[in-house]
Amino acid sequence: MTKVFVSAVIDAPIGAVWAKMRDFNGLPDWHPRFSRSHIEGGLRSDTIGCIRNFDIAGGAGTIRERLLTLSDVDYTMTYTILDAPLPVENYVATLKLYPITVGDQTLGTWSAEFKVTRGREEDVVDAVANGTFGKAFEVMNELLGRKR
Amino acid sequence: MAKVYRSAVIAAPADTVWAYVRDFNALPKWHPAIAASEIEGGLPADRVGCVRRFTLKSDGGLLREQLLALSDVERTYTYNILVSPMPVANYVATMRFTPITRGNLTFAEWRAEFDVTEGPEIDTVLDIGDNVFVAGFAALNSHFGSK
Repeated sequence: MTKVFVSAVIDAPIGAVWAKMRDFNGLPDWHPRFSRSHIEGGLRSDTIGCIRNFDIAGGAGTIRERLLTLSDVDYTMTYTILDAPLPVENYVATLKLYPITVGDQTLGTWSAEFKVTRGREEDVVDAVANGTFGKAFEVMNELLGRKR
Repeated sequence: MAKVYRSAVIAAPADTVWAYVRDFNALPKWHPAIAASEIEGGLPADRVGCVRRFTLKSDGGLLREQLLALSDVERTYTYNILVSPMPVANYVATMRFTPITRGNLTFAEWRAEFDVTEGPEIDTVLDIGDNVFVAGFAALNSHFGSK
């Protein structure tokens, strides 16, 4: 089992960050790595069990993921990959935000566990940790961060 | 039940911060409000169930706190108050230190739940949150050489 954990400070209040990130159908609205998304079966994106169907930007394929947990109390979202052009199985990821009370900032944490089914584990870890999770927090800082 | 939660970024790696604060007998080393501390009965400070007995710099007030949980995996410890000059009962607190992988820093959290036995609840909540918890974070950042 491979584990990935990425965390970063986002220089914005947790309410603003969560409002942006909690929409399970909203990834392409802000994450440059992804384009086009819809929730299958016309469900709302905050329905536990719903499936988001979205594309990797540049025509690199389609990903389907199922929402397993959404908590506005704990600022947490958990989901699993159903189909993806990534050599992984048993992939479960959790996004969780924490308030940084001193300075009114946010800690973003994004973790995943999965099995790499072929290719180099480091390449898959890099794509997940840096290309997806780390990039997300960078973008949040660009979009919501206080200008210094 | 009153709840207090404070969190801050500490400008050092999580393993470094944890090594510095995990010693349940080390409050005088890092917290500016604490004068002296000992573990009762000569127990090691990482024995769950041990009691630390320490005094405040301000007025010499005595506190006894018992270690309820200590985890080197989660970088967390939990303790309760047995004796304190503060007007609190059923006080349980937890500290936790999480790595911030971007920048190799630490996310420090300190939370407590308790009943306030005397005076306005908000006064005790703010006293603990700011004068104990945030003051502790500030001291850690001074020690590790940041703002």
